[in-house]
Amino acid sequence: MPYSEAFKDHLTNPRNAGELADANAVAEETNPVCGDRLRLSLRVVDGSIEVARFLAYGCPPTLACGSVLTEMIQGKSVEEARQLTRADLLNALGGLPSHKQHAAALAVETLRTTLESGCSGLLSW
Amino acid sequence: MSSTRRVYLDHSATTPADPRVVAAMMPYLTERFGNASSVHFFGQEARGAVDRARREVAGLIGARSNEIVFLSGGTEANNLAIRGLCEAVEPHGRHIITSSIEHSSVRGICEALEKRGWEITRLPAYEDGIVKVEDVRSSLRTDTVLISVMLANNEIGTIQPIQEIAALIRQERAQGCKHLWLHTDAVQAAGRIPIEVEQLGCDLLSLSAHKLYAPKGAGALYVRRGVRISGQNVGGHQERERRAGTEAVPGIVAFGTAARIADEELSVRNSHTAGLRERLESTVAERVPDIVFNGHPDRRLSHISNISFRFIEGQSLLISLDLEGIAVSTGSACSSGTLEPSPVIRALGRNDELARGSIRFSFGKDNTVADVGYLVDVLSRVAEKLRSLSPLNPKAMASRRFPQTVGRD
Ligand SMILES: Cc1ncc(COP(=O)(O)O)c(C=O)c1O
Repeated sequence: MPYSEAFKDHLTNPRNAGELADANAVAEETNPVCGDRLRLSLRVVDGSIEVARFLAYGCPPTLACGSVLTEMIQGKSVEEARQLTRADLLNALGGLPSHKQHAAALAVETLRTTLESGCSGLLSW
Repeated sequence: MSSTRRVYLDHSATTPADPRVVAAMMPYLTERFGNASSVHFFGQEARGAVDRARREVAGLIGARSNEIVFLSGGTEANNLAIRGLCEAVEPHGRHIITSSIEHSSVRGICEALEKRGWEITRLPAYEDGIVKVEDVRSSLRTDTVLISVMLANNEIGTIQPIQEIAALIRQERAQGCKHLWLHTDAVQAAGRIPIEVEQLGCDLLSLSAHKLYAPKGAGALYVRRGVRISGQNVGGHQERERRAGTEAVPGIVAFGTAARIADEELSVRNSHTAGLRERLESTVAERVPDIVFNGHPDRRLSHISNISFRFIEGQSLLISLDLEGIAVSTGSACSSGTLEPSPVIRALGRNDELARGSIRFSFGKDNTVADVGYLVDVLSRVAEKLRSLSPLNPKAMASRRFPQTVGRD
């Protein structure tokens, strides 16, 4: 299955790459099987994700999922972001080969942990 | 963003067929279509062409024509060499010595034999990617029947001390150890370094046509006169009972022509690829930080360069280059959710990060200096971009970007 245009675009022009200096929710997850890593940093203001940044190491789908994820959650409320599923990411990327779908799972998992890191932190949202 | 420029730097994977080779082969697809086993004119015409190709392939490695068995490719040559020999000599022992950096075909064959009770010793390749003859010596047992070590590695290009291993075997034979044979996979080496089987001293040697500017689907095994192997394909008398099946005449003719041209042009091709590689390695070293060159700097094939890029995963670099029209390869694979960092780079003692971030650039006779320039420009840009988003890169972590919109505090 060839990669979609959307996928290639995220790979060549990653959105929101980097790390926020003033993030109030940060987490990094590693896929234990393949070693791919995704790190998210968010700045949440009044219960909504104002800014999202990602760093990723791994195969192309992991990078593309990180990029598309930040694009999809920026501006959303924490509650809305929590509803995001693997399928949403896959749709946004025009699908992924079945053996690469774990990249989307890693992205969703990293998002959940990041949101939790913020909730249990000092900040009240 | 889409570019039309295409630069092929994956000649260790395969090469395009040389127009001279295609021209030689074409008539055997059409008017000279005979079966080389037929006694009539058509058959004899095909037979003559196969015989000529056999002389040409033998010529490339200094063998006699009757020592060449035509096959479908390098993988089949390795199968016939190892399985065919092991089957024939099984009563004398079930121990094989091989290296830890063999091509996946040899690795796979050894694993299959291991499941059937054979014992395999895999020699280390150390940091420079070259096996040590002393290790071969100390691994020898009374039941060792085969040593299979590649002539040159496909990922890092390192050239193995086959001649020295052969000398060791001769000593062993002189001391009465009669059932010990040497196979070498020369698929990458052939046409790139001069090979003389008499000097090399191996008993079996694998070749593949498509690495030599001939089409895919042809290969050969050199079997030294007097060495017995069990055919793996039975049911016909072709290839002196060693490989049953109607000869694939067009592919064989192409292979022969390609072997002759490779022999004639060997030194020209070598100095050409050596120059391009030197250019690549020196400019990459200047322009891309945090890289590690893999493999011995001198004792390697002139057309291969293998570089590990820290903080980056090989597949991502490969696809990013591909999107800009540049074709390279990586030894690591991420499939079915499992990670396999290149086993060859791991065997050099490199950690997982370096093994995952290794890229092989392999030049061919038609690459140009401009290709290298384009590659280095794209590579330095793409590597920097991927590093800017890598959580393994301390600089990406440190240079935290500030939000574009100013948040409320
Ligand atoms: C060292 C080595 N051995 C064997 C092979 C297999 O040859 P073939 O593709 O003709 O089966 C290759 C090809 O990649 C190779 O590089």
